[in-house]
Amino acid sequence: MSRTTSFKLVLLGESAVGKSSLVLRFVRNEFSDFRINHRVSIGFAGAAFLTQTVNLDDNTAVKFEIWDTAGQERYKSLAPIYFRNSNAAVIVYDITQPPETSFEKAKTWVRELQRQADPGIVIMLVGNKLDLSASRKTSTELGKQFADEEGLLFAEASAKSGEGVEGLFMEIARKLPANPPPTRTPASRQGVRVEGQAEETPSACNC
Amino acid sequence: MPSAPPARPHSTSPHVSLSLNPSLFPRPSTPSGSRSSSDLSKSFLRGESVSSLRRREAEWDDAWDSSSDKEDEDEDDEHGGGNGEGEDSLTPGRSPSPSASAGSPVHAGRDGHGVAKSFSQAVSSAIPIRGAGSVDPNRPVHPHERDKERERERGISSSWASSFQHVSLNSSPSRPALPSSKTYTEGAPPPPRGTSLATSTNGSPATATRGGGGAGGGASKLPPGGAWEIVESRDCELGEEVVLPPKVGPEAVRSDVDEILRDPLQLLSSLSLSTPSTPVPSTPNPASSFPFLPASSGPPTPSSTAAIDSEGVRSQRKDLGRQRSVRTERRREKFAKVLRGRVEDGGGVEVAELRRLAWSGIPDEVRPIAWQLLLNYLPLPTQPRLTTLSRKRKEYAQLVDQHFSRGLGALDQQIWHQIEIDVPRTRPGIPLWSCITAQRALERILYVWAIRHPASGYVQGINDLVTPFFQVFLSAYIDTDPEMFDVGHLPAPVLSAIEADSFWCLSKLLDGIQDNYISQQPGIQRLVKRMGELVKRIDAPLAAHFDEQGVEYLQFAFRWMNCLLMREMSLRCTIRMWDTYLAEGTDAFSQFHLYVCSALLVKYSERLREMDFQEIIIFLQRLPTHAWTDHDVELLLSEAYVLKTVWQGAENHFANMPNGQSGGFGMLGR
Repeated sequence: MSRTTSFKLVLLGESAVGKSSLVLRFVRNEFSDFRINHRVSIGFAGAAFLTQTVNLDDNTAVKFEIWDTAGQERYKSLAPIYFRNSNAAVIVYDITQPPETSFEKAKTWVRELQRQADPGIVIMLVGNKLDLSASRKTSTELGKQFADEEGLLFAEASAKSGEGVEGLFMEIARKLPANPPPTRTPASRQGVRVEGQAEETPSACNC
Repeated sequence: MPSAPPARPHSTSPHVSLSLNPSLFPRPSTPSGSRSSSDLSKSFLRGESVSSLRRREAEWDDAWDSSSDKEDEDEDDEHGGGNGEGEDSLTPGRSPSPSASAGSPVHAGRDGHGVAKSFSQAVSSAIPIRGAGSVDPNRPVHPHERDKERERERGISSSWASSFQHVSLNSSPSRPALPSSKTYTEGAPPPPRGTSLATSTNGSPATATRGGGGAGGGASKLPPGGAWEIVESRDCELGEEVVLPPKVGPEAVRSDVDEILRDPLQLLSSLSLSTPSTPVPSTPNPASSFPFLPASSGPPTPSSTAAIDSEGVRSQRKDLGRQRSVRTERRREKFAKVLRGRVEDGGGVEVAELRRLAWSGIPDEVRPIAWQLLLNYLPLPTQPRLTTLSRKRKEYAQLVDQHFSRGLGALDQQIWHQIEIDVPRTRPGIPLWSCITAQRALERILYVWAIRHPASGYVQGINDLVTPFFQVFLSAYIDTDPEMFDVGHLPAPVLSAIEADSFWCLSKLLDGIQDNYISQQPGIQRLVKRMGELVKRIDAPLAAHFDEQGVEYLQFAFRWMNCLLMREMSLRCTIRMWDTYLAEGTDAFSQFHLYVCSALLVKYSERLREMDFQEIIIFLQRLPTHAWTDHDVELLLSEAYVLKTVWQGAENHFANMPNGQSGGFGMLGR
């Protein structure tokens, strides 16, 4: 019997770089045009939750519990509730955009995580839309260099063709600690609570 | 007997049945994400919880019946009937398409995008229509739109599409003469059996109309030259199996658009003649007019005859339809009465009465006016109404001009970038929103709103909020399901008016919930927090379970607040919800909505309490609400109303107490 360990993973990145597409490719091996499958793939108001399990070897399986977050700047304040207890983060940018747009945004997400997330978090930087490499505007070297400087994993992938997608999640899985992370319940109990909730107890007062 | 089922010319569209295979509009039988979501619900459907859920629903049914609209005694079985169909599903003037009446959104299959695209292209390139092709010089034209129009012009020569229009849309004095017709004789195959087809080989409006009024069995034959000719019959019964192709082209545009454009209350005049249960008179029948209508409304216009016809065609389930239509008719009558106001003393709508009626749902036909009145966009007194309307529309046109006249490069690129990303993925798979004209309109609405509200700017999700307005207002001008209609077929001034009305009503709606969209989104944070508190009081076991599993309300309820449950419900249900929200008042989109969300959550309490974190989150982000009907929505609304009644005052009371300390009121504890 293989042992399954659960890890929390969060996807971050600018709007329309293909976060949802990457995770759908990984979880269902589908490339789903947003025009068709918006309920699932466009979690852009809030975040979407998905899971996927990969086998590392005959004895070890890793289950990813994935939060696919909204990309728009306005939702930035919401991101901490998703990456707070994450064991891994995938930060996505679009290689067909010039570096000063989505790549720059990816860099700010890295800084944000370094500041606020668990210090042991595994961060993977991903340049997406590799199938469109003919119109590439952000070079592989640029991404690689930044990842090396910051000690991140790095990959380029195409959610559309599937190239590199499973590989990047496998790489994360291998990088994650072999020991199971703290289970969710105690961890989340330390998380942010709705204010005032703790002191209140259901009262029997009937008016 | 005719070889093809007889039909009335204006109730069907030859170009659709010939050039477009109806199966091009995929209508999957299950909601999207069907595989996993149905698996999911299967695994969660436990007999016990379901049956108790039903019991609870039945109790609420009673509550609904006794609490709503006492005057409508004869509507009792409507809500309590339990067949899950709202009355609106049989109201005339709406699409016969099963997807629309089922209340479930059209979720296209995987090829949906290509389909939708080819649909709009096929339609727009094949059909020449005045107005759609002619460009108002004052109206800014998006470059893509211009391409589209060129495309349209290229298609003109080979088109036969408008030929049958003469039959229904002929003698309205305000309507420009249509270009001379052409029947689709050349090489066009006869229509497939089982498809209703109608056209006229006769280009003369008068003859066609007389034919339309005549009695006798319908007959279709192949006349010399191979053109199809249908001699129409009013009295023929349609077979149960006949599925009418939806009208998606210019034939769906009402002939009285100009009047409605000027004064939306014109909708009432055609309404008064819609009496589906009575035989259609071939001559004007004064008795079918409502007494409160001014005499000047005169004999029925061709459009109202058309309305009756298509209505007759649609009421296929006759017996059921007749019963319902009587009730529906009474309801419409009440609305018409309120909306008419006191004609003698200059009109003026009694808004309290309108709210009271609207709370229980607004008939489709009057919804465009009712919403605009309830939102205080349309002034209540008659006198300023017309001037305000034209002023507001002009004002919006100027705003658009002001921001778009210098080209797209002059726009605020940050805002524009996000809008450009989101507009094509607004209600994906729905033909209306796949068409480029509607997308351009949506872009302008969103951009102009965003630029005028710098504190929030454009926020993802606002794009969704435009769609109910746009579709409801569009429905005033057409005779078909708005979701299947390409707005490129509308005359330019009509499209501009819909766009402007949608913009102003969106603004009114957002005025009340702007907190939801400014930095940090404090409005949503506050509502979600209050929802957590409320659930703790009304369903302590569920709250405890969430706590134990580490479920945070923000993880699912954020979207419920941000998108007003539009991602959870079909648009049809959303529209029904908004009837009540608008009746509740402008703050309903935050305050009342809180209770709706809470009621929605505790509805699934039993199931949720048996799930772990992962199951809970997955369940909540794909609620089994997509097949909901008006009936389900009304149940939810009534539950929310009860919650509000009990907790609203109490909430305010708590808010004034230091440290948020409060005693619980266990009145609704479960």
